[in-house]
Amino acid sequence: MTTKPTNVHPTLSPKENVAILRRDKKIYFTNTGPRDTGQSDFKNRHTLYDLIRLAPLYNRSGYFSVENHGGARFHQNLLQNKIDPFEEAARWKERMPDVMTQTLVRSTNLWGYRMYPRNVVALSVKAFLPYVDVWRCFDFLNYVPNMVPIAEEVMKGGKLFEPAISFSVSEDCTNAYYLKVTREILAVTGGAKEIILCIKDMAGVGSPKRITSLVDALLQKYPSLIIHYHRHTTDGLAVPALVAAAKAGAKILDVTDDPFTRYYGHAPVRSVNALLQEQGMETNLDLTWVDEAARIVTDFIGNYQEFESQFRGFSHKVTEHRMPGGAFPSSFEQAEKGDFLHLMPHILRGMSYGNRFIKYFDVTPGSQITWTTWAAIVQFHFKEGGYRQVDQLLDACERFIASGQRLNKVTPAERDILLGLYSRATDDLKSLLLGRYGPLPFGWPADWVYQSAFGDAWRERVKKDRIEASPLDQKKKENIAAIQRELEDKIGRRVMPEDLVLYLQHPGATVDFLAFRRKFGDTTILPTRVWFDGLQAVGREVYFDHQGKPNTFKLLSIGTEVAGVRHVVMAVNNTMHVFPVDMPSAKDRLKTEARLADPAVKGEIGSPMMGNVWRIGDKDRSLKVGDIVREGQEIMNLEAMKIETAILSPMHGVIKDIPVKLSQAVVEKQLLLVLGAAPWSERKGKGASKVKKPE
Amino acid sequence: MPSRHKRPINKLFIANRGEIACRTIRTCMEMGITSVVGYSDCDALSYHVRMADQAVHLGPSPAKLSYLDVAKVIDAARATGCDAVFPGYGFLSEDPEFAAACRDAGLIFVGPSAEVIASMGDKIATKDALAAARVPIIPGLNKVTSAQQIVEFGNKVGWPIMIKAIAGGGGRGMVRVDAPQHTAKALDQANSIAGKLFTTDAVYAEKYIKGARHIEFQFMADQYGTVIHLGERECSIQRRHQKLVEEAPSTLLNEELRKEMGAVVVRAMKNIGYVTAGTLEFLVDSDMKYYAIEVNPRIQVEHTVTEMVAGLDLIRLMIRTAAGQALTVRQEDIVLRSHAIQCRVNAEDPKNNFAPSFGKVTYLRQVSGPFVRADTGIYQGWEIPPFYDSLITKICSLAKDRTTAIERMWRALCEYEIWGVKTTIPLLKQIMRHPDFVAGQFDTDFIDKHLDELLNYVEEEDEVLRLARFVAEITAIGKNPYCR
Repeated sequence: MTTKPTNVHPTLSPKENVAILRRDKKIYFTNTGPRDTGQSDFKNRHTLYDLIRLAPLYNRSGYFSVENHGGARFHQNLLQNKIDPFEEAARWKERMPDVMTQTLVRSTNLWGYRMYPRNVVALSVKAFLPYVDVWRCFDFLNYVPNMVPIAEEVMKGGKLFEPAISFSVSEDCTNAYYLKVTREILAVTGGAKEIILCIKDMAGVGSPKRITSLVDALLQKYPSLIIHYHRHTTDGLAVPALVAAAKAGAKILDVTDDPFTRYYGHAPVRSVNALLQEQGMETNLDLTWVDEAARIVTDFIGNYQEFESQFRGFSHKVTEHRMPGGAFPSSFEQAEKGDFLHLMPHILRGMSYGNRFIKYFDVTPGSQITWTTWAAIVQFHFKEGGYRQVDQLLDACERFIASGQRLNKVTPAERDILLGLYSRATDDLKSLLLGRYGPLPFGWPADWVYQSAFGDAWRERVKKDRIEASPLDQKKKENIAAIQRELEDKIGRRVMPEDLVLYLQHPGATVDFLAFRRKFGDTTILPTRVWFDGLQAVGREVYFDHQGKPNTFKLLSIGTEVAGVRHVVMAVNNTMHVFPVDMPSAKDRLKTEARLADPAVKGEIGSPMMGNVWRIGDKDRSLKVGDIVREGQEIMNLEAMKIETAILSPMHGVIKDIPVKLSQAVVEKQLLLVLGAAPWSERKGKGASKVKKPE
Repeated sequence: MPSRHKRPINKLFIANRGEIACRTIRTCMEMGITSVVGYSDCDALSYHVRMADQAVHLGPSPAKLSYLDVAKVIDAARATGCDAVFPGYGFLSEDPEFAAACRDAGLIFVGPSAEVIASMGDKIATKDALAAARVPIIPGLNKVTSAQQIVEFGNKVGWPIMIKAIAGGGGRGMVRVDAPQHTAKALDQANSIAGKLFTTDAVYAEKYIKGARHIEFQFMADQYGTVIHLGERECSIQRRHQKLVEEAPSTLLNEELRKEMGAVVVRAMKNIGYVTAGTLEFLVDSDMKYYAIEVNPRIQVEHTVTEMVAGLDLIRLMIRTAAGQALTVRQEDIVLRSHAIQCRVNAEDPKNNFAPSFGKVTYLRQVSGPFVRADTGIYQGWEIPPFYDSLITKICSLAKDRTTAIERMWRALCEYEIWGVKTTIPLLKQIMRHPDFVAGQFDTDFIDKHLDELLNYVEEEDEVLRLARFVAEITAIGKNPYCR
């Protein structure tokens, strides 16, 4: 005789798990601590050494799932944490076998920052299927066709697919709209039998009343739907909103350990649990283990103080500017590094207008487009005319909105400001306006936006380039074998399938990561303080296990810097070793100091923004000094805040100098490349007259 | 037959340094002989000085002013009341004047007589002596006076031709000529090298034996006319005539050929009147024809593999022979069993054209374990001086069969760890894993032929030490630059 399973479990099929959730009266929780909370309040810096201590405790706490994977942590792991996303996922699976692991996927962008064709999606999803049980998938345009490739791979792979509707609060985001999106989703997933629907409130803006209404509307229409409410805490109303959602019928709520809670992440599990119980709802938690996990978090959370946001505190204003929790601290960090922290209130104010001009959801990559666009607009105007000009700009936007967005109702000066608003639009914003991510959820923006972004020729551009159908249909298969060879060339060894998947998401970061691993091995077994700061003082000792064997490093002495080298003497398992360390010398520091492009010098190409050089050349060809480039050819690509920006050659020419290196951080106006006249263009009489000034 | 008196050796002056001095001191300890070594300025804290019972400062670091200074060495041996002098290999070991000076100073020279050394140092004389004992030798041109002469000789015996320094040895001072038109230039070059390296620029010419294996026979002779051989050593794994890997027995010889060549060796040495340990080197071509090339009248670097398979301490035998004792082992007592391989660990960077790598040994883990022998002259904290040769350790493995000996050597090479200098260990590991080497199919061109492949290695560091390097870097910088 077989009995029906009564508890959700990773080994059950999606259908079985969904059936259990339907029968069960209890409210379930997803702990987002290791991923989303870590991203929103601690810039994704949590070490695996600390996080993995929680796995055995979460395993016994009664959670529905633990979000330990995906989102920006994926990139951050390669970039700065030096954690292999595969190893991290495998370790969680191994130490938390009874609770589902969860990832966050940006529809066809997966864990990267561009749209992938189907063959890349299939390869990448398949590679992670063994480690990830719940696949939450959102699209910043709520464009369901973009979710289809993921849905197919995950459902075919026997894992639980959790499509998310990007939630916001505006006059357009009505129940009717979300019912329409849900209908489209269920058409793709073949109903609600083996999926869970997520309401993704990434900014934390849904009031208890609003969320009650939405959950209720969805369940009226689809009574058997399992609803998972994902909500950030930014507006300060998370706890009552979560409880309201549960009361309205949501089955699963996103929370985190109490000591993980700050301002932009997730609500404290104990508080939500207490309020639910007070209101007569049952929950599925074993508090002994929840409290034990909280104790561990308390123990290590101090390690990350320096990575908490520059600005701390709830911000109900989020309901206007809608910056998502996951982008909060990194935006402030950018602002601090770029020395424009003082402009943040203006940028946020600008965002609250911008989202009424071009309508999409502020979540990756939309949130980055919004951020880079408005950070650039406000900085530009500040540099030109200080706070006065910034205020003029923002006031013009405000009055324009008050006028019902009619250009003929504002002054000619304000009209000019608006028509210049997007004149320095990034490639990504232009792509968005041309439908390359998919159709916008509430229709294309007004003509003046196109005029502002594309100039006088905007009509032709829209006619010629705007994609009205699904951009996925235009995505060609990528030559994976060729990409594999490219990576093999770069790392000089045979490529493992996992390496390739990482490389497809983040090429530059993966190459750097693999080189780091080759040099130092798996640093995630080092205690966090040592990972961040080393041994600090003579006599300090660190203990850690490696393959079950205890190890100890003790700092014996540290020399002064001589000829750029410091000698560090450590006892490694009681044996003295001398380690010469090449110091980042003063000379190197000077070298990396930015040389700015001189706009008066023809051929000097400056960086349009702060960012990272991740490619020199285009997708197909890397460039070096001596190469000849055509006008309009992509000669470099910068990455900032998850957005890639192509640098196009302003002229025909030959590369004279490339003063930047791959992976180098550059500042705005920094000299990227020097071009000289190419012999053949001079012969044909094309030359200075056709050269456009670099922007 | 020269008759000598028995004279006990109670105190031995070891006129050498490095691993061979240390290895000799060990035998002295076993035999109850007091050991004395000389040292140069830079060797004051070297291992052989630490190990010996007594030490004498010889002079400044350059070998010419210390280890090669005959008068200083003789004075040191006499001043310390030594009965005998052991020269090892290199330095003064093949200098007949040194052997004569020892004799004149009343010191027993642990090696052949000055006369034998002198004649073995003259390649032409050696070849004549070998030919007289009916040992096959390479067709050669003894007195080279002109390039034209070499061209005629080459046309007669076939190209290529090797031009060698008469006073040369140890693979140095050789130039290969592939075709007649290059002869003049090659001869100039050979004369010039010989003039720089040796006492005379005189050269001779020989047919170059293609696809040859370098196989040498170890022999041992006492003052009473007894000569035995201890089998062969395979030394084909060489780079620019410098041996890297040696083994015994050779995969090439069968028992019949071994016996035949051994008999040739014994006959020749009897004929020459050789006393003490020595080596007769052969080239064996692909048709199994063998040609004697030279006699090394001294202990050799690779004597260890013979010791391992024969179960004899060659240096002990040399000391006993020098003291006038008769050999007690007869040829029929010599049973060569098992297989031994030796790898030379040099402080060189194979990837940087084998440039010497000198400096402080900041960490050293020597090898040990079953059937592995390490002869070394270094220790942790010691600075490898730039004045002498780059050999720092010889690792020898012994096993029932060649395959196991290779596996054992691989293990030992993996275990050996040295910091502060680059070594040939990664290259040696590559050789141990090379299919042609494992199959026993190679000749003296093996390294040249496969060099690119053999150098295609990544130096893998122990995982914990890699982490330690990381922690050291973070500690030196004060914060983790990778995550900030």
